[in-house]
Amino acid sequence: MKYLLTGGGTGGHVYPALAIADEIKRRQPDAEFLYVGRRDKLEAWVVPEREYPIRFVRARAFPRSKSIGALLSFVLALFCGMVQSVLILLRFRPHVIIGTGGYVSAPILFAHGLLSKIALSRSRVFLYEPNAHPGMLNQVAGRLAHRVGIAFEQAGRWFDMKRIAVVGYPVRSEFLVLDKKDARQQLDIADSEQVVLVFGGSGGAKVINEALVEALPKLADRSGLTIVHITGRYAGADYDAVRDTRHAVDKLQLADKALHYRAVEYMGDIHLAYAAADLVVCRGGAGTLTELGVAGKPALIVPLATAAEDHQAANAREMERMGAARVLYQQARWQDGQIHSVLDGGDLAQRLLELLDDGEKLRQMALAAAAVPRRDSLSLIMEEIENISTERRSAALNLEYPMRPNGPPAEANALMRWVQAQVHSAGGIESLEPCDVAYMRYQADRLLVSRAWCEIPLGRRNVGIKLIGLLGYEKQRSLLLHILLDRSPVSWLQRAFGGDFYHGGILRRNVVEWGIRLLGAADAPTRSALEAALVEDPYFEVRSASARVLDEHGQPNKRTESVLMEALEDASPAVVVEALKALGNLATGAELLPALRRFYLHPNWQYRQGVVQALAMGVDRGVLAAEDVAGELDEIIASSPFFKPTFALNESLRLLALRLEEGRKGSSTDLRVL
Amino acid sequence: MIYYLGTYLHDTIDALSFLRLVDSISFRAICGAITALLLTILFGGRVILYFYRLGHRDVPRNYLNYSSAGNPAKTYGGVLLVSVILVSIGMWCKLHTGFVLLCLAGLLFFACLGWVDDYLKVRHRSSDHGLSETAKLLLQGTYCTVFGVIYATQGLSPLPPDVGTQLYLPFLKYPLIDLSWFYIPFIVFTITAISNAVNIADGVDGLAVVPTAFVVAVFGVFAYVSSHARFAEFLIFPFMPGVGEVAIICSIVFGACLGFLWFNSYPANVIMGDTGSMALGGLLGTVAVLVKQEFLFLIVGGIFVAEALSVVIQDKIGVKWLGRRFFARAPIHHHFQQRGLADTKIVIRFWIVAGILALCGLATLKIR
Repeated sequence: MKYLLTGGGTGGHVYPALAIADEIKRRQPDAEFLYVGRRDKLEAWVVPEREYPIRFVRARAFPRSKSIGALLSFVLALFCGMVQSVLILLRFRPHVIIGTGGYVSAPILFAHGLLSKIALSRSRVFLYEPNAHPGMLNQVAGRLAHRVGIAFEQAGRWFDMKRIAVVGYPVRSEFLVLDKKDARQQLDIADSEQVVLVFGGSGGAKVINEALVEALPKLADRSGLTIVHITGRYAGADYDAVRDTRHAVDKLQLADKALHYRAVEYMGDIHLAYAAADLVVCRGGAGTLTELGVAGKPALIVPLATAAEDHQAANAREMERMGAARVLYQQARWQDGQIHSVLDGGDLAQRLLELLDDGEKLRQMALAAAAVPRRDSLSLIMEEIENISTERRSAALNLEYPMRPNGPPAEANALMRWVQAQVHSAGGIESLEPCDVAYMRYQADRLLVSRAWCEIPLGRRNVGIKLIGLLGYEKQRSLLLHILLDRSPVSWLQRAFGGDFYHGGILRRNVVEWGIRLLGAADAPTRSALEAALVEDPYFEVRSASARVLDEHGQPNKRTESVLMEALEDASPAVVVEALKALGNLATGAELLPALRRFYLHPNWQYRQGVVQALAMGVDRGVLAAEDVAGELDEIIASSPFFKPTFALNESLRLLALRLEEGRKGSSTDLRVL
Repeated sequence: MIYYLGTYLHDTIDALSFLRLVDSISFRAICGAITALLLTILFGGRVILYFYRLGHRDVPRNYLNYSSAGNPAKTYGGVLLVSVILVSIGMWCKLHTGFVLLCLAGLLFFACLGWVDDYLKVRHRSSDHGLSETAKLLLQGTYCTVFGVIYATQGLSPLPPDVGTQLYLPFLKYPLIDLSWFYIPFIVFTITAISNAVNIADGVDGLAVVPTAFVVAVFGVFAYVSSHARFAEFLIFPFMPGVGEVAIICSIVFGACLGFLWFNSYPANVIMGDTGSMALGGLLGTVAVLVKQEFLFLIVGGIFVAEALSVVIQDKIGVKWLGRRFFARAPIHHHFQQRGLADTKIVIRFWIVAGILALCGLATLKIR
């Protein structure tokens, strides 16, 4: 039998293909294989290492942007790739084509589709989809496959029901024969050491690499600890995983410290590292998690925040729920005037040390990890492949549709309502589970990182700001202040129409009104930021919100008072009114009365209303003398173009309804409103 | 109906020759206004009660949520307004003329569109569940395109062929240019914009009806002038025979608006809802196009223009593009509410402005 394997780009697509190939080879030693991949991707050096022949084709991902250029180059690459694939197919004439997703497999599958139409290819096609959310090209290729094996039931939505089989995630056979002692011997690590394996998926994860470098100084003095760090081979314009990590680590001068740190760019026999490790720091992809289970290792999972539909966080939380892992989330951080999603090195170090110090905990987690239910994926896949190559019918699949949605809604505003409901039903943030709070805060971080803040209404970053306040996320206070004081301008066209800064007025207003108001403004940086916003911000809603929050959270002091006095000159009535009310609360001395006196005859009644409230507050606090104020009340204009009517019938109905609601009996005289 | 009856009677019975009165546009206009006013006042109360019982009101029955300062549940009374106008038109207009048919079509189409919107809102008990903005615009655009094609096609159009697609501006005696087929997109924009502007303005008790009454009054005068050969010649207006029927319709709408105000004045127990405001807006747009005074609406309907502009500036330019607000709230009447003016004050001030604008509009009769 001849098998053509294709799929790649990342380890999540390459390793299943290799695992399947290994299994076929074990069962049929005379099978012939050909792997088809892309020259510059992971498969180009992993596959030859395993001694499978490989051929390369051109391929490109389906463009996410809507630009014509991207689309054209995609079409061109797909066409070239298909021509190459046709030649490969005609020469190799495989019996079975096994595609494991990733856009690399698309040209081969489409070429097969074309050839089979003119009866030049009689191959049987098995498509494997390792993700819960299939890629664009795999969705199309699913129509050409005789059978589609999926790792997650949720993925079934995108394929023809009659052709899917839930097969789980195949793990390479080396993982099944693992021994800690052997592994450590092979890796030259002492048995007494505690070993932490850190890696960010086959592509290498910039976030994890940088966080580990940040964490190393805090771990450096711990003896008996070995960190095995697989950086990955990612090299782009702004980041080179190997070089940048080495530079940063060299600066730390770890050689004379107690910690044993070793970095490698890639590890072909990663199963050894798994076996040797006491704790694994990794991403939350399905492949990694399955490997963790097979190896039975406790993990600290850092879900990839940009994963489609946030599936890594969902996976990680599931592992956490089963007690097999802890989750550490990426956070939003202000860097060079922009918000980036990073992993906090301090947090990483702290969590690592906590876990390493608690041996009993680690053992329990390892047991739980080994107990995570798994499918016998390889034999399921082999069965499906045998079925299609012998054209036998597979067993019917029993799936329930529609799938039960798990996790919070994806849309930002719905997410906020979900969080509000969760907090409300728990009766406050304090009564929520810490892991749930961390997850919700992570959602806020994810929204904050989004640049698409101009969605309707006002986008994800806006909701992220509100969530920070709602969740009492104290750690991001400085990020809020950065947004509030950010002065990077928008384009001249937008400025001509009244725009000002990149973080538009409504965002800054929400920073004050939701973020700071709910977090409190007791500390000096927050207060000085509010005071700066009150006088300097070009947008009136920010200024008035600042005055209101200062009023709510401020303490009487000279500085705030002088800023508020300055705000009385503001052109926007909303600001002056709030400043007047705040002065009643915060003014310290005798300047208050003359300041208020200026507004006794102001034509706008809202100013006078503010004055009256400030006077009352000043008298209450003893800043103003009661007799002084009493003598001046007549000078205030009392007429106003505003009133609140009372609808007597309405009020009576409400009282009656209230009474019925409470089930009490009252005298009917309460209902005589007038 | 009465027009046809009167004509038949004075033609057949000599003793009833005084019924020649029904040939007079001014007579029918005044009678139409009085009919619409009286019909609304006489039957309004009962109709409102009927719709209240049906559940067509803007607040669900939950007395705990009432506040004694808020106006209580109001009935959607747009159907009342529209049916009174329809009945009056049926009584006093020459139904077989193109002008009347086009006006009726506009009124009915926009009323139906508004009614669907109202119905969805009542059914979902939420003002967010009406027709989507895109759906509304698409439906309006489709209707207006059909209307535009009829309007610009000779033979179908009730207007004289040399006037049809000419573009007239206020303060200018002669048409600016002949837009020919480009008149259709212009019509689509005009009617859609006007109907939505009236819809937006309908936010506070009595705010939309009175400016509408002013606008129809002015357009009625213009229609009357255009329909009268000697007035048209004297004031140098295009003479359009038959457009007098539009004057009668304007007069009827004027009466119906005043009648509606009877119940809709602050504190209102009935509001026109989308049914009423869209229908009135659609009719206003149709009338403006039929009497060839589209640009006059910018002056006479200044209130509506300001309301619509405030929404566009606030929402499209401000919030969606720049991430800021320009007004405390939009539409502009909410801005004044926010700034601390009572509803009554805002509404009456808007009426005053609308009155002044109507006078300015009338001034363009002679200042040309």
